[in-house]
Amino acid sequence: MSRINIQILLGALFIFITSAIILVYGINEQNRMAEFERATRARAIEQGAALFEQQCSRCHGTQGTGIAGLCPPLNDRYFFDNRMQEIAWTGSIEDYIVATVSSGRLGSTRPQLFPGQGVPAMPSFSDHYGGPLREDQIRNLAAYVMNWQETAQLVQVPTPPAGPVVGNDIAKELPEGEATAGESLATSLGCTACHILAPTGPAWLASAEQPGIGTRAASRITQSDYTGKAQTPEQYLFESIVLTNDYIVSGFSAGIMPNNYANTLTDQNMADLIAYLLTLK
Amino acid sequence: MLKSLNIQDMRQKLGQAVDHRVRIITAGLGLNELRAVMRGDPPTEKPNPRYKVHTTSFLFHIRPRYYEAGSTIFTHTFRLGFFTAFFFFVELFTGLILMIYYTPSPEKAYTSILNLMSNVPYGQMLRDIHRLGAEAMVIFTVLHMLRTYLTASYKKDRSFTWLTGVVLLGITMLLSFSGYLLPWDQLAYWAVTVGTSMAEAAPIFGNQVNLLLRGAPDIAANGLLRFYLLHVVLLPLAAILVISIHYYKVSREHGISLPAYMEEGDVKPEVKKAAKQRIDFIPDLFTHEVFLVSLGLLILVLGVTVFNYHAPLETIANPQVTPLDTKAPWYFWFLQGMLKLGDKILMGIIIPTVLVLVLVGLPYIDRNPHRSMYKRPIAVAIGVLAILAMVVLSYMGLPQYGIESDAATRIIQDMAPEEGVGPLREVPFEQLQPGSYEVGATPMDDMCPTLDFGCPDFEKFFKTYSSLVEEMISMDRLPEDAQALVVIDDWQQDLKKITMRIVWAEEGKNKTYERHVYQHRERGSE
Repeated sequence: MSRINIQILLGALFIFITSAIILVYGINEQNRMAEFERATRARAIEQGAALFEQQCSRCHGTQGTGIAGLCPPLNDRYFFDNRMQEIAWTGSIEDYIVATVSSGRLGSTRPQLFPGQGVPAMPSFSDHYGGPLREDQIRNLAAYVMNWQETAQLVQVPTPPAGPVVGNDIAKELPEGEATAGESLATSLGCTACHILAPTGPAWLASAEQPGIGTRAASRITQSDYTGKAQTPEQYLFESIVLTNDYIVSGFSAGIMPNNYANTLTDQNMADLIAYLLTLK
Repeated sequence: MLKSLNIQDMRQKLGQAVDHRVRIITAGLGLNELRAVMRGDPPTEKPNPRYKVHTTSFLFHIRPRYYEAGSTIFTHTFRLGFFTAFFFFVELFTGLILMIYYTPSPEKAYTSILNLMSNVPYGQMLRDIHRLGAEAMVIFTVLHMLRTYLTASYKKDRSFTWLTGVVLLGITMLLSFSGYLLPWDQLAYWAVTVGTSMAEAAPIFGNQVNLLLRGAPDIAANGLLRFYLLHVVLLPLAAILVISIHYYKVSREHGISLPAYMEEGDVKPEVKKAAKQRIDFIPDLFTHEVFLVSLGLLILVLGVTVFNYHAPLETIANPQVTPLDTKAPWYFWFLQGMLKLGDKILMGIIIPTVLVLVLVGLPYIDRNPHRSMYKRPIAVAIGVLAILAMVVLSYMGLPQYGIESDAATRIIQDMAPEEGVGPLREVPFEQLQPGSYEVGATPMDDMCPTLDFGCPDFEKFFKTYSSLVEEMISMDRLPEDAQALVVIDDWQQDLKKITMRIVWAEEGKNKTYERHVYQHRERGSE
């Protein structure tokens, strides 16, 4: 065989192999495209999770269960099953989330339960309306919230306090507190939505690095960098709950904790909470 | 009636008609001749009809009628120039199709790539081939130039061809670089930001050049549109023009050079005669080229399927977040390396300009009349040294070199990089068991007793993490009592949150560096 013949033969063979590979590759295209679509969605959820943590968790809770007296739960059966009918939204839930996140809320639709931050109840997040997020980021956020749809439980919305509210005078005389009532309050008020920094459980428990909040409260008021007005551990805890920015523990930033508890808790609530927290040494 | 029909006559007429058509289509080759060409037989007619094709056909008239035998030796050219041109045509073809699916705006660009990948059959393959072809084109251009340098083919009457070649090297790199930005992901955005900021180093007009390229102080909609138009209109047109000039010189004026040992010094007459022997384009070279094309296509397709080459795609560009370890495209690493060595103006502008001038003026700087490598040791030595210098400088251009980041940041970036996969992302979803794992405190074997098959990949990850921390401690970049943690939480359905945290004491204060990584079950590999 001459060189030309060999090259024609090999060339034909190469083209045949190339075509065969492309053909076989094509058989799997539908699967590959579907898988890519799932992966894209998965990554959108991952990115949305990070954004939720930065932008939404302070008000809606780290796990989206809402914060009573502040912002409504999103990781909530009611939200996914009934909220659309309640407000007569005709599009999809995902579109509703995108729309709400983008433009925010001037006034709360449920001011009694979830007044939000006041006016606006929720700021606009889209950079089209002066917010910090691009459209694709808002889409990712919505993908993350939608990922709760299958597993969301019904969140019990705590009823507004019965009786006069506690106010923010930390020297006030409080009734006798009950630690067990305080413990259940700490859960039902949604404190754990944010206070879960320690890997072992709520941040007020004792951990490897530090004692429980009862001991911490006693030592904090003696620290040199303490800027609050509390004289006793009880007053320190009272102050931490109602006057959230009077003293910021080092390592945290100001303005993270909602500052409306003076208007949502009763004297008895506060006494119970303090009694519970002081038991944690 | 039937008797009067002359079958013989009919066959002859039909044959003539077919032959006539074939001659028109092949621009001069009849049926018999075509058969002879395919079989590698000598021409069947006189004058040689194969030469006629070179005058009647446009595509063949820009090709020479014959090459000299000496210039077709494989080890002389390695077909590098041919493959460079081949990759250019691959880019044109795949690029044209990709243009259908692409929108050059910051809002749409990234989505259009995602759409191409998830909704267009063969979309990913096209993108991969386009990217692989682009890398190959840069590599082959450089190799082609290197070959020309080492065989001294730039001398005498080839000096202008060399000059057009230098221009083509620049165009090729710009083509590749301008295409870099188009996917509008973090990799693209920051690589191009780094690349264009080099232009900023130039005195007086540096800022203007930068502004002209980016369309604004930072790359945004204007910058993307400019890079897009450069990539799909201006640079391809320039490339086609300069390639035409480059090739015309080769094909019509001086041909491909002969190896030096065939024409320099005491060459035996028979060797000289054999070297000058003509090899016809049709059929020998033409068949060879078609063969090379089929080989090239096969290698490209194998590359993106069997060898799993995939064009990278990171998260969408975010001008607010500069990822750690930002780097320019690999062919500019040497520039980044040089910039680390000294002054921005000297290293970023003056030396590169001098380098380009040296390349352009090479035929006039190198006055040595000899072409044989043995007779130009200095030139060869400089060439080899230049390659070594390029490799070393490229290495120095990597973000890992010479930039001392904080130890905790370095460890966590190595374990869970902001972009790309990294050891943490490689751990299968099921093996991420909720819990808190502390380096030095958590035992490193049987870490997931609840899993039937344990979690070997997570253990491997944790071991790497531990050894990195210990390494930093032994290098004194972290204090002895530094605490390194991995905390895994079940976060959502099919979603885990992994927190990597390093706490250490520095100047009496506790410092913390942490990164949260969210991992979804279906994220897939890159």
